[in-house]
Amino acid sequence: MSGKTQTLYEKYGGFPGVRQVVTDFYERALDSDIVGHFFEDVNMARLVDHQTKMIAGLLGGPVEISDARLATAHAHLEVDHYHFDEIAILLNETLADAGFDKQDRLAAVAAVEARRSVIIKRSRAA
Amino acid sequence: MNIDAISMRMLSNIGVGVALADPESLTIGYRNPAFAAWFGVEDGAPLDQALGSVTRTELHEKLAVEEAIRLDVAVKRKRRLLTIETVIRHAESDGRKILLVECQNISRLRETEAMIDSYARIAEKKARELELEKNRVEKLLLNVMPRSVYEEYTAFGTVTPKLYEPVSVLMLDFVGFTQMAAAADPTVTVTELNDIFTAFDRIAEMHGCERIKTIGDAYLAVAGLPTPNPDHAGAVAQCASKMIRYLERRNESHPHKWQARIGIASGSVVGSVVGVQKYVYDVFGPAVNLASRLQSLSNPMEVTATSEFGEDGLEGLVPVDAGTVDIRGFGSTSIVKLQARGLVDLAA
Repeated sequence: MSGKTQTLYEKYGGFPGVRQVVTDFYERALDSDIVGHFFEDVNMARLVDHQTKMIAGLLGGPVEISDARLATAHAHLEVDHYHFDEIAILLNETLADAGFDKQDRLAAVAAVEARRSVIIKRSRAA
Repeated sequence: MNIDAISMRMLSNIGVGVALADPESLTIGYRNPAFAAWFGVEDGAPLDQALGSVTRTELHEKLAVEEAIRLDVAVKRKRRLLTIETVIRHAESDGRKILLVECQNISRLRETEAMIDSYARIAEKKARELELEKNRVEKLLLNVMPRSVYEEYTAFGTVTPKLYEPVSVLMLDFVGFTQMAAAADPTVTVTELNDIFTAFDRIAEMHGCERIKTIGDAYLAVAGLPTPNPDHAGAVAQCASKMIRYLERRNESHPHKWQARIGIASGSVVGSVVGVQKYVYDVFGPAVNLASRLQSLSNPMEVTATSEFGEDGLEGLVPVDAGTVDIRGFGSTSIVKLQARGLVDLAA
């Protein structure tokens, strides 16, 4: 146990820390002219649930969203690289405003980047 | 600025939506900017038009019987679906009856609730996984150490070596196992051995013995440890006898014929967890060594013990004198073979 490295989730205060990030990211995603329409008629509780799990998972928290589940969740959406880039940018901005170090932001964005092919695979880019 | 002007300015600037309506016609006589921004209605508009989710008749019916009614009204603004908590209550102004409508945007509260629900589900799932993992680890550890030792180990992270005295030790070994393992399909041999050891575990448990370990085809069990048992000798003797009987029965219906030799001895042992990374609970001491040597003096399907066994009478078992042998480390020792009473009667 002692040899385990601290996750970003733990470093930034566990769930109370992530809470602010989720709220802020939710606002930015809805406000975005590029990706906002994806969230327009989505049930709020489901959207918040998804974002809580996604952000907690990206930061190494106690959630693991499998690639298969991510692919299914995005299969019906026409997500392209442009949308994906916007999400990465919004996340980076959200984390910056939440006081994340540059290094840690890069790590979180890299974790998003690692899922790019899973999310875009079955849509327009496929 | 008079008091009315101050009140009006306050109403215009607060984040709470306020409107006044006529209780009969249900038309809005006044609404502050926050109310207008959420519901997009002007003074003079019908209240039900603003609230959307409720009709004028329903409002009349509810207000006729209730002092105040509470509604959650969904309002879409840009992409957001806001939840506006609305309370409509009867009030009086200058002797005139009016309806006071107070609204608060509770969208953020609802989002937070959704987030906490989500997190609670994550935490519950994690807790279930941890519980399963804990049970798995517990099961594994209970396989290699007695429960009380396991409890000491989990509570303190270590186990203090303890001297147990007196206890009785059972050492069992199969005859010709190596040849059998080499000759037959090893998977079948191991599966059979596993079946037999599982049966032995049940027999041991039934007689209050604790299986300490198996080494290859050898099986070591102790009675009187970790909980003292005044009848430790009787317990291992019965255990040994049942193991032999089990094998006899099994051999009647199985192609593989298993032949075991058993040695049982009483004395002292030290019990402790050995190792740091690959820890295992083990026992050491004269009783273990003696049981091991007696086991090697046994013939197939025989239980060999020191002559102290059976002095107090063993239920269903008879000690048959087997003379005196010189045992390394123990000197001249009189030994007995424990036999089931029926067998002895037959021989006689």
